[in-house]
Amino acid sequence: MNERDDGAARTEMLELVALYALGVLPPVAAGGASAPDCAERVRAFIESDPEARREYEELRAAADAIALTAAEPVDSARSARMRERLIARVRADAASDAVPLRRRRPGSYAAWMVSSGLVAAAAILICVVSVSRDVSVRADLAAAQRRVAVLQGQLTQDERVDAQEQRMMTDVFSPGAKRFEVAQGMVVMHGDRLYFVLTKLPQPPRGRVYQAWTEAKGSTSMAPSVTFMPNAEGLALVALPVDAAKVGTVAVSVEPEGGSKAPTTTPTFVRPLG
Amino acid sequence: MDRGVRLMERIQARDTAAFEALYDGYHRLVFGIGLRMLGDPALAEDVTQAVFLKVWTSPESFRGGSFTAWVSRVTRNRALDVLRSRALRPESELPAELPLDASLDDDVLARLDAERVRDALATLPPEQRSLIELGFFGGITHQELALRTATPLGTVKTRIRSGLRRLRETLGERVSR
Repeated sequence: MNERDDGAARTEMLELVALYALGVLPPVAAGGASAPDCAERVRAFIESDPEARREYEELRAAADAIALTAAEPVDSARSARMRERLIARVRADAASDAVPLRRRRPGSYAAWMVSSGLVAAAAILICVVSVSRDVSVRADLAAAQRRVAVLQGQLTQDERVDAQEQRMMTDVFSPGAKRFEVAQGMVVMHGDRLYFVLTKLPQPPRGRVYQAWTEAKGSTSMAPSVTFMPNAEGLALVALPVDAAKVGTVAVSVEPEGGSKAPTTTPTFVRPLG
Repeated sequence: MDRGVRLMERIQARDTAAFEALYDGYHRLVFGIGLRMLGDPALAEDVTQAVFLKVWTSPESFRGGSFTAWVSRVTRNRALDVLRSRALRPESELPAELPLDASLDDDVLARLDAERVRDALATLPPEQRSLIELGFFGGITHQELALRTATPLGTVKTRIRSGLRRLRETLGERVSR
């Protein structure tokens, strides 16, 4: 191969670098694995050739910029609908992060184990609180609280989850918390925070979730709050993102995924707080 | 550092207010890319939901650099998934991407807006511009570009490289003004 051929071959490779930067090279070439015009081979070339690397970085920046031209106003109804659905999901997820029942981040197995212990202790405590007022049960309650305290002390792997879980558990078990029983568990109010501690919640139909509702004091309409799912044992611990002092009534209903603006089914429960 | 990068730092700490701000700032871009690629507002809406849920559930997948570029690529990949699922072009796929020198990427993108990029694209010869836009938003390969535009494959390659180089130069000039 002479210099002219070398130059032509190099130019062709740099053209392939441009195609790679634009994202139009297939992973495997139509001409087979040995053909040069597939992403893997060009990628290897870029990694081994400084000039190709520079060319790629320059052209990738240009290709990335093309995306900006797609930004256009979204019609207001669609935009509002998308935002509402997403934010509801995210808030629900953030609330359930306090005692994550569905998703754990990698590396937090120990924290998950401890959380499971806390959940079990919570279930025990609910049973204890709901059936008892006598001294022996108070002893059990004290034992459960000690166990919770021990378990809380072990939560060291994830400071953020720790803080949320500890606050929630402290609130739920606080002697100063107000508890409002419902058939599926209880609603707990502590300070300006409000929680559902539900232990007997059946799984909703496929494609459905539970959604919390809050009615402000003096209001006659329910405002949508977070959506959530019970775990396999029917347990759900949910922190409601509201100022508890302003809430007069809470409710839960089964709704489509993403939640609804107003209840669409007969509520699972409605509980006045007072 | 673009605003998205700062918001992503807060989202990694599970800050829902940061997520709302990020959505407000970037949903037009994400929806717009989905719409350009899929041509269907309902599908573009699905893509938008999926992209932002990924942002929330896997914020660690953003590893710095330009958030605008990253979220654009995530959106493009997601839209390609939709195209594949519709069996329109099952062989298409964006290649795994090499990490970039983030400073270059940031420097250009952080100071650009849609208007400037459109202006820069408008300076390209039509035959270069159409290939680049069709390649970027059409989610098709260079061979398909050649077939669809009835252009020899070698010409497609040359035009795309020339067009991207010119675009980069023009964008660089506009940013440095």
